[in-house]
Amino acid sequence: MAALTDQIALTRDRAAARKKPGGLGDSLFRAASYGSALLVLFVLAGILASIAYGGWPAFKEFGFGFITSSAWNIGQEQYGAFVAIVGTLASAFLALLIGVPLSLGIAVYLTQLCPGWARKPVSMTIELLASVPSIIYGMWGLFVFAPLFARFVQVPVSNVVEGMPIVGTLFYARVPSGVGILTAGIILAIMIVPFVASITRDMLDQIPTVLRESAYGIGCTTWEVVRHVLVPQASVSIIGAIMLGLGRALGETMAVTFVIGNANRLSGSVFDPGSTIASRIANEFNEADGLQLNSLMALGCILFVITFFVLVIARLLTRRAKVA
Amino acid sequence: MNAAPAITQAQLTGRHKADESSPVRIAVKDLNFYYGSFHGLKSVHLNFHDRQVTALIGPSGCGKSTLLRTFNRIYSLYPEQRAEGQILLDGQNVLDAKVDLNELRSRIGMVFQKPTPFPMSIYDNVAFGLRLYEKLPKADLDVRVEESLRKAALWDEVKDKLKQSGMGLSGGQQQRLCIARTVAQRPEVILFDEPTSALDPISTGRIEELIEQLRSEFTIVIVTHNMQQAARISQFTAFMYLGELVEFGPTTRIFMNPEKRQTQDYITGRFG
Repeated sequence: MAALTDQIALTRDRAAARKKPGGLGDSLFRAASYGSALLVLFVLAGILASIAYGGWPAFKEFGFGFITSSAWNIGQEQYGAFVAIVGTLASAFLALLIGVPLSLGIAVYLTQLCPGWARKPVSMTIELLASVPSIIYGMWGLFVFAPLFARFVQVPVSNVVEGMPIVGTLFYARVPSGVGILTAGIILAIMIVPFVASITRDMLDQIPTVLRESAYGIGCTTWEVVRHVLVPQASVSIIGAIMLGLGRALGETMAVTFVIGNANRLSGSVFDPGSTIASRIANEFNEADGLQLNSLMALGCILFVITFFVLVIARLLTRRAKVA
Repeated sequence: MNAAPAITQAQLTGRHKADESSPVRIAVKDLNFYYGSFHGLKSVHLNFHDRQVTALIGPSGCGKSTLLRTFNRIYSLYPEQRAEGQILLDGQNVLDAKVDLNELRSRIGMVFQKPTPFPMSIYDNVAFGLRLYEKLPKADLDVRVEESLRKAALWDEVKDKLKQSGMGLSGGQQQRLCIARTVAQRPEVILFDEPTSALDPISTGRIEELIEQLRSEFTIVIVTHNMQQAARISQFTAFMYLGELVEFGPTTRIFMNPEKRQTQDYITGRFG
């Protein structure tokens, strides 16, 4: 009994000896972490404000027509964002169309089918892909991939589809140079695969073994297990991974600038050159001034808004999936 | 020395009387199992009777789950695991390389330690397994889903929300949903791998009642680390230790009158 009282007293003394909360160190720490968080907000708001400020003259000059106009004429000072917006969305869409199934395939292979010894090397190769600088993809795309693509895809495909309805427009290359929207989409797909594949792999790995076993346990084939149980189970995270890839594809500059052809032309064919917002800015920023510079800033603003909406949609999708 | 048995006569009531004349549904003959180089099961011989509940008991790591997992060859998902010997299901050796695993698993259902509802609606959870093997018109499918949910004693709780996700149910309901999913395929055998280990006592009680009811239609094998549970719900009990089958017999005899010293020590709580 006495021992217990002693111990209580000791604990009390120790608590008293401890520094009171709210001392100098504590408030410094709080201020520092608060400051860091605020700094991020300020930097973001500052960038957005300065781009909006820089782009304002263009918006004022062309009004809403800036978004819907496909003119980009430096001599006549006529600028419109439509071609670049379409190019951005189209190349990113193609990137997802090609990259997402590929990524899912890789993730499923790595988590379900791959023999143990091959797992590490394949995983590492995928992750290495992510560390290749985008300029390398651009260079490789332009000097190696584009000529091969022109020779072995664009020319034969164009010959086949010429004159056909719809596909004759969609897959016809007037000038089979190898560069174009689809080339950009393919290069972008290669660039987003490592992200989407490795996140998806991690998510599939986190699914409890018993769930997988119980799906096999009712007699599912591997395809049925993956298609009906594992992928839906990880769907929220997979959507998140896809949106991350989409964000990257929308904003990727260097690689796209190399292979998209940089033409301000609206074409129905995925083989034709075009441009994206990022590639347009990268191409012209050096020599731009006056209204052209303002227009490029305005383009930047639009890209900002597009990526912001992608993020918002991603959030909404993942939230809805969680509820369901 | 003669410590009082942990299980009293009252717990081993008449309804659990083992029917030793019941035909053998699964015959395990000289079964050896290896995890890589580890010898997990050592020459197990054991018969499972039709429409009886057989409980596999023993301390952790004794091989009871391993034995269960050989019946539907779920272990074969892991390349380093292998089984040798014979497991005859109605005379056919399920360890035969020619056996169609998917078809085998539709004949031998399995319920796991944790509830594993699939990420789909309650209805689809039950219909999913059915659709894999039977092409049924919608109306017949509805009937089978309802029948299965009723057999799993879940129908009344979910009949108004069949379209809702199975993940929204409570743990006990989820486990009954998994049982409904298994029952829907009309398997011959249902394997339960510690089905109540993640559940509260009330849910556990309902699952136990359910297993008792399912016995009229299916051959049931249940792994449990809970001896009272084995005594409550099984007709036969197999006691395993260190990968070997120590003793097998009617539950009443195993608990009241074990032949082997190890069995007696385990059921009286001296080790395990």
